[in-house]
Amino acid sequence: MKIGAPTTKTAPKTLRALTASGITHIVGLPDSLSAPLFDAVAHHPVLRLVTVTREGEAFAIATGLWIGGASPLVVVQNTGMLESGDAIRGTVLRIGVPLPILVTGRGYERMRAADVDPAQTPSPELLARVDVDSVAVLTERTLDAWGIAYRTCEGEDDPVEAILDAIHGAREREQPLALVMARELE
Amino acid sequence: MLTMAQLLAPLHQHRTNEVVITTMSAARPWGRLSGHALDFASVDSAMGHGADLALGIALARPERRVICLNGDGSMLMTLGTLATAVGARATNLIFVVCDNGRFETTGNQPIAGAGRVDYAACARATGFPSVHRFDDARAYAEALPDILRTSGPTLVHAALKPGQEGPIIRGPAEDAPYLRISLSESARSLRAALGV
Repeated sequence: MKIGAPTTKTAPKTLRALTASGITHIVGLPDSLSAPLFDAVAHHPVLRLVTVTREGEAFAIATGLWIGGASPLVVVQNTGMLESGDAIRGTVLRIGVPLPILVTGRGYERMRAADVDPAQTPSPELLARVDVDSVAVLTERTLDAWGIAYRTCEGEDDPVEAILDAIHGAREREQPLALVMARELE
Repeated sequence: MLTMAQLLAPLHQHRTNEVVITTMSAARPWGRLSGHALDFASVDSAMGHGADLALGIALARPERRVICLNGDGSMLMTLGTLATAVGARATNLIFVVCDNGRFETTGNQPIAGAGRVDYAACARATGFPSVHRFDDARAYAEALPDILRTSGPTLVHAALKPGQEGPIIRGPAEDAPYLRISLSESARSLRAALGV
């Protein structure tokens, strides 16, 4: 396979949905789940890719893009979302940027396999368990704490429909809106 | 070393339609001097992310130059942005690093590596095609017109004398107009000035 070429056949469906909804830039840092999307955008004739070195950059860059009239989508893993706390607070929340945020969800499968309820209060013992990835336990609770509306895509949910809902939802609310992708992208 | 006034006055003289993003100790003096509709202070915002915000505007508006008057402490917080700007081919972006070795607006505390970090070398090593370092006001003023025309991304490392700018609190007590309004209002004002 050509290095850097799209690695799945289903990325084009996502790309068509993004361009049809007016997204201009994908800003973020890839993980194993989002890598096919990043690869595909890197070769796209219209969508622009901004790969960052640390996820906090992505939220400030996306804010600048929005100020300049572009329509970005931030794509980060939930670990990177946690890293981005002050960037999110001081840019997209402080300014009120209608930013869709795609958060790929590391650790959700392990959390389900360990029969952990995402709604349960995370104790120090739970966060230290070897069979639980603590980032999944803290993702939705952190979004709640930050006051960021979110939806979770899992199981049989259609990921492309969920991304479109997040884009339109952020615009309608005129606020950031996160989509936690707790399953594979298409 | 330059004073902040020696850094800002030539930029004010030669500035035409560039967007100017300010942070930290440059924000108040630039606001007093300029008052341009394309000014934006990354103040009361996210620590160290003024350069990222400037990069985003530059990518959205490739026809227009974007200048970020960044603090040295702020630049250190997001050094990775240098690589991001190069990767994104932000040819219209100019970072000016105001190197006074201090967190001036919070009380002149020393920053990490004060006086020993070569920001111009960092930019050069990251792949910036246009890099400059100035310790002398006259050399800077003479070079600035060409710097503003050169394809970037560009980084200007300006060695500054420490000043005495105190904390900035957005609101009516500030004399620079862009610091009297909220960050959100300021962002929407800049969008309007850009025709968004």
